[in-house]
Amino acid sequence: MFTKKQRRINWILVAVLLILSIFFLFPVIWMLANSFKPDAAITADMNSIAAFIPPAPGGNFFDNYVSIITDTNFLRYMANTLLYAAILIVLSVVVNGLAGYALAKIRFPFRDQWLMLIVMLLIVPTETVITIHFLIIAKAGLLNTIVGYILPLIVNPFNIFLFRQVFVSLPDDVYEAAQLDYCGPVKYFFTMVLPMSKTVVATVSVFTFLNVWNDYLWPSLVFTSSDLLTAQIGLNSITSNENTTMGQTLAVITLVTIPVIIIYSLFSKQIVEGVTSTGSKEG
Amino acid sequence: MSFIEFKNVCKMYPGSKVNTVDNFNLNIEEKEFIAFVGPSGCGKSTTLRMIAGFEEITGGELYIDGKKVNDVAPRDRGIAMVFQNYALYPHMTVEKNIGYGLKNMKMPAAEIKKKVDWAIQILGLEEYRNRKPKNLSGGQRQRVALGRAIVKNQKLFLMDEPLSNLDAKLRVSMRTEISKLHRELGATTIYVTHDQVEAMTMADRIVIMKDGVIQQVGRPMELYDHPVNQFVAGFIGSPQMNFFDVTVEGSTVRFADGGHLILSGETVEKLRGHNGEMTLGIRGEDIKIVGHGEEKDKADRQTAVITDTEVMGNENNLYFTFGKSQAVARVSKYEIAQIGDQISFEFIPSKIHFFDKDTGVNYMEQ
Repeated sequence: MFTKKQRRINWILVAVLLILSIFFLFPVIWMLANSFKPDAAITADMNSIAAFIPPAPGGNFFDNYVSIITDTNFLRYMANTLLYAAILIVLSVVVNGLAGYALAKIRFPFRDQWLMLIVMLLIVPTETVITIHFLIIAKAGLLNTIVGYILPLIVNPFNIFLFRQVFVSLPDDVYEAAQLDYCGPVKYFFTMVLPMSKTVVATVSVFTFLNVWNDYLWPSLVFTSSDLLTAQIGLNSITSNENTTMGQTLAVITLVTIPVIIIYSLFSKQIVEGVTSTGSKEG
Repeated sequence: MSFIEFKNVCKMYPGSKVNTVDNFNLNIEEKEFIAFVGPSGCGKSTTLRMIAGFEEITGGELYIDGKKVNDVAPRDRGIAMVFQNYALYPHMTVEKNIGYGLKNMKMPAAEIKKKVDWAIQILGLEEYRNRKPKNLSGGQRQRVALGRAIVKNQKLFLMDEPLSNLDAKLRVSMRTEISKLHRELGATTIYVTHDQVEAMTMADRIVIMKDGVIQQVGRPMELYDHPVNQFVAGFIGSPQMNFFDVTVEGSTVRFADGGHLILSGETVEKLRGHNGEMTLGIRGEDIKIVGHGEEKDKADRQTAVITDTEVMGNENNLYFTFGKSQAVARVSKYEIAQIGDQISFEFIPSKIHFFDKDTGVNYMEQ
């Protein structure tokens, strides 16, 4: 039970957080409301509260969205990005998971030094290695291919470290029990380790999705064919086109934002747990 | 050939200079229930893990069912194991936990179901079959772990302190269940515990270990009545055996506080001429409280003042200081004494042990 004082503090906290969340949300609400309006209405409502209110649903309510979907390849770009994200999620979980498992549970020479190296790589910004990645991919003749785009993104020191931190606390006796149950090491990883670490798998999946979804620099370097472009590049090319209206710009930004909001709302609990988890297991 | 044979088995961990398990020699017969007991760090779990194949054997040979298994993978040793922390698969239901090994053995689904149903029924887990381990109590989890072990029809069960995480009452009932299972299944069982009560009540034979070395192997009452050394005498039995520093001269035993005791001819004979400083050991129940009216040879009768009492319900433990040592007498629940009371008592002569002061060897069992 809360005391009277604690309850008062809770109320104040709720009020402060509510005000803060409105501050953070208002551009999103503004974007959403105006994405349904023609440019004239956007300009007219700009200095009033109506800027945050969508128009009444009617005949041309979805015009901006319809024109984006029919006049541009944006849906294709979104589908491309979803496909790349799906492939990278699977590969990230498997490759980084196996690396994390090895660093957590398998004894091999210089294991701790390897871990140290991986932790040190966390401080290296992606932008500093992107030129090297580009040169390697270009040399391998993989420019403008899905493989060329995906290959450098699979291994991620942060994901390896995250997996390692969770796997290190998995009880060893479960592996021993599984061995006696005729379960080999590879099967153990896929049927025991990953299901026992759902939280970190979800976290890595979400981070991978967001990285792919929000990445602009790498796909813009690798891809030149419009068939392979990603949502962010599509967004940029549409919004920088002088024929695109303000309403269409807001509609395309809304379309890009929707998957991120969905993913965050579905997995916010897992993300927080995954990052803060000490990996203590029940059962 | 015995079902399991240890031939000079040793275990030395990397970086260590001493063997954690040293020169372990033991034969275990088929269908036997053997308990490894000893204090923490005595090497009992390491020995069990060497049998399972989870620890490398660094010296000697281990045979299971006539086959040398030093380099055989755990899965190929024909064993089932129950772990101290249950080691259940947390994301699987009870029936999936139990049937997982059978599934990996590529057993037909119908047969798996039959075996899992049998295990669930025998362990009383019917209503929990679709629950996951986190929704089970400690006792239920341990039963699932047992179920996982019994369904595979292995000839050898290894149990590593399986009851140590359970409360006292549950431990007693699980003890009975494990003994019953052993009788029904007839599998050879090796049971590791630090609880001598578990070992005494369940095992056909007990192996007592200390510092990686077997101290004594024998049937429970053999160890209780005829310990080969002071460590075994002190480890088996609760409350533990009383020990007094004494000096033996012929048939006279002198205690540190000047009190004395005259030994019977039979006891002197058993001592085979050992004289001088040694340790006298006697169990609490072998100290007989002498009532005021009882006629008795005064030379054998000792007196002491009660310093503490423990009322156990079925019996009482009376603590007193004698021969400059703390001692305890186990008496019937009808023999009530208060702190500060003076008691007269005598040691039952045939139950007295004499241990070498340095090596701890029991002179009476040589």
